[in-house]
Amino acid sequence: MTACLLGALPADAKESIPILPPYTGAYQPQGVDERGVWMVADEDERMLRDSKAVINDAKLNQYLRDVVCRTVGDARCNGVRIYVVRDADFNAWMAPNGTLAVNTGLLLRVRNEAELAGVLGHEFAHFELRHSLLGYKHKRTAGDIAAWAGVGAAAAAAYGYGSVRSYQSIERSAIGSIYAFSRVQEREADLMSMAYLKSSVYDPRCFADIWDRLMDEADATARGRKQRSARYDRVAFFASHPTSLERATYLRGIAATMGKAGEDDSARFRMALAGWRPEFLTDQLKLNDFEGTDYLIGELAGAEWTADLLFSRGELYRARGNPRDLVSAISFYRDALLQDPTNANAYRGMGLAQLRSRDPAGVETLKKYLGMKPDASDRAMISTLLQ
Amino acid sequence: MLRGVVAAVLAVLLCAMGLSPAHAQEKSATKEGFVLKSKSARILLIRPSIKVGAQSTGGMFEPNADWTAQARENIGVALAAAQNKLGNEVIVAEEPIGQSAQTLADYRALFSVLADSVVTYQFFAGNRLPTKKRKGIFEWTMGPGVAEIAKGTGADYALFIFNEDQYGSTGRKILQLFAAMAYVSVKSGEHKGFAGLVDLHTGDLVWLNADLEMGGDVRTPEGAQKRVAQLLEDFPGSALQPVSAVK
Amino acid sequence: MAHKILSSIAALALFWVGPAVASNKLIAQGTSVTVAKSPLTITSDREWNKMGARPGRNSETWTIDGDGLNDVTFYGGIENDRPLFREVDRRSKPLPRFSSTMLLTDLPELFENSYSIALHTQLMKIDSVEPMTFLGQKGIRFSFTFTRMNEEVRRKGEASAAIIGGKLFMITFEAPDVFYYERDLPAYRAIIAKAIVGSGSRP
Repeated sequence: MTACLLGALPADAKESIPILPPYTGAYQPQGVDERGVWMVADEDERMLRDSKAVINDAKLNQYLRDVVCRTVGDARCNGVRIYVVRDADFNAWMAPNGTLAVNTGLLLRVRNEAELAGVLGHEFAHFELRHSLLGYKHKRTAGDIAAWAGVGAAAAAAYGYGSVRSYQSIERSAIGSIYAFSRVQEREADLMSMAYLKSSVYDPRCFADIWDRLMDEADATARGRKQRSARYDRVAFFASHPTSLERATYLRGIAATMGKAGEDDSARFRMALAGWRPEFLTDQLKLNDFEGTDYLIGELAGAEWTADLLFSRGELYRARGNPRDLVSAISFYRDALLQDPTNANAYRGMGLAQLRSRDPAGVETLKKYLGMKPDASDRAMISTLLQ
Repeated sequence: MLRGVVAAVLAVLLCAMGLSPAHAQEKSATKEGFVLKSKSARILLIRPSIKVGAQSTGGMFEPNADWTAQARENIGVALAAAQNKLGNEVIVAEEPIGQSAQTLADYRALFSVLADSVVTYQFFAGNRLPTKKRKGIFEWTMGPGVAEIAKGTGADYALFIFNEDQYGSTGRKILQLFAAMAYVSVKSGEHKGFAGLVDLHTGDLVWLNADLEMGGDVRTPEGAQKRVAQLLEDFPGSALQPVSAVK
Repeated sequence: MAHKILSSIAALALFWVGPAVASNKLIAQGTSVTVAKSPLTITSDREWNKMGARPGRNSETWTIDGDGLNDVTFYGGIENDRPLFREVDRRSKPLPRFSSTMLLTDLPELFENSYSIALHTQLMKIDSVEPMTFLGQKGIRFSFTFTRMNEEVRRKGEASAAIIGGKLFMITFEAPDVFYYERDLPAYRAIIAKAIVGSGSRP
């Protein structure tokens, strides 16, 4: 795995990262507004804890906890409770009471531990800097102003419908938007997270890379939908952030001045997430975003197309289902099977793509699938296709 | 899916703007033939769902922990007193753990869907269902399985209560004034509540009281008493009102 | 400022009139009616309420107690390259589209993805898939479970579907898992048993 991109040394490096203050322990809310926010946060956490959308896997949670602790240090990571939320969006958020939620869409997109450390460190920085309360007051004022200007705009301000992947329900956008921060705060959190990375084992140069890829993915999505690329506000995480280009640039600049190398721990990361990736890819496929998903799968592959990525690509093309897509899908499934002949689902996909192309070879392919997977849940249905 | 498509955008827009289609304010109904004699019943009070906060100018709900805690306390006391006045024994449901917690959560969730359906499709004009419009008919149920949540209590009925208060901020009230000048009705504050009585032997909803504009400031004991009086208005067997079918 | 309020109110008024136009109608027991503006013909074995609001152009919903408690939805001949129901946010949440070349096995995925995008939930899954005879054709029956993000009610459902003349005909049923699904599944099955396309006999 190549090291993260090295940035050019900026002509005049204005950004200085903060010195990490000694950590005095978890903060308790003061005053009416803060208690109100914490009450919501505590209630939300109860909902989150019992939510069916949360993946309660001890190993995965422990791994993420280890990454957080390696990033911000043991003193800081003690007050954090981590929840893995099953959601294909790239996002993570931290509430003022110490709840840290990480979406599976984020775990799918980061390439190594150093990138993950950067993002989680960023969220922790909001918590340490107690940004959420200020963000809450700010949102309310924005709502007030908007109400005067035009009642419709109030909906956007109050419920955060600025982002494009804005299919957040009222409930979830209430959880998310209350904690949306100002651009200044986002920058502060970025700088703070670089400070954590500096004291950690990780290579601080990696943090910038994720933003480039997210921008490119957003461009791909827009292209696929024949829309103009509204580049930097496509993904929920970006809604009130400094532009990604700006971000990638100053983060690289800072890393260059830091002159510190470090680990990216990509091997350990890949191993921890290996069992989960197929599931996260399945969720991604459900989004009906052909170009964005194709881009993402390609990025995950890099120079090396593995069987699971080839299979996912086959599923993607088969789902779009145009005649040429079906031809492509069949070739992806074939390549997947060359690497992993035990993948029964690849036979299934290939057979269905063949049948849909009116190629009678599909019958034999599907018989092979049923032979390999006698307890297939769709056995009866597939059998009828063979008549 | 109907809800998801049609209601989603409309509800968000209206809700965010604090507008609402014209509603009558309150309504209650009893299942035909239902009679609850005084001193005859054991009623299980399910933990009320209580939310209190402020409504900013822009219509955003701002939770307030102190207010909510006060409201829970005050409403709890007021409820106990009110029920004693009616001469029926009220048992407060314990917080279950494990599978029972899930079952209770399921039924509390079902109650709000049920109450919502009664309000939307029977109580208020605009979207009524033909089969629910008929005089004297009040046929709604939680299903007989609801008895599960009262196992071991000997209760005959379960009382579900839902209460939400959003107090309009100053900014909100001013907006209301200006909007009125433009002939637009903007609600300042929102105070809605439902109280429902379920027969644990059959699962039938035997009484529901819905009020979308409740009075009383639940942050004070007096206000909570007034609120509870409104929630329990026309409660079956109450000395104040004879038992009646749909109003 | 009054102007701004007025203009946004005007915009709202236009929008508000839309969905609330038609009122809910009674379907008496034992009547045969076409549904979803299509040749799909249903014979009712009990009273039903037909909802005035529709999920989409070629669809229609019936209910007994309100669509939150029991919902039978008819899809009458969804055409090639059309979504199942109205897109709420076409730009950022486009729904997948039906294609005439689809195999029956593609239909559960079409349905699952449509719901998970429209309701924004990762908690939608297909539970079982079986072949069936529907509308006199080779069809597919599948069951599903879902929860909306802002609700805690778990819902279960069943769908019956067939592709006829390159168009999708489907009847779905959904209800809360607690009590209502079990109680009303027979009512849905009764509808399926008597459903036909066109007024004549089955092909």
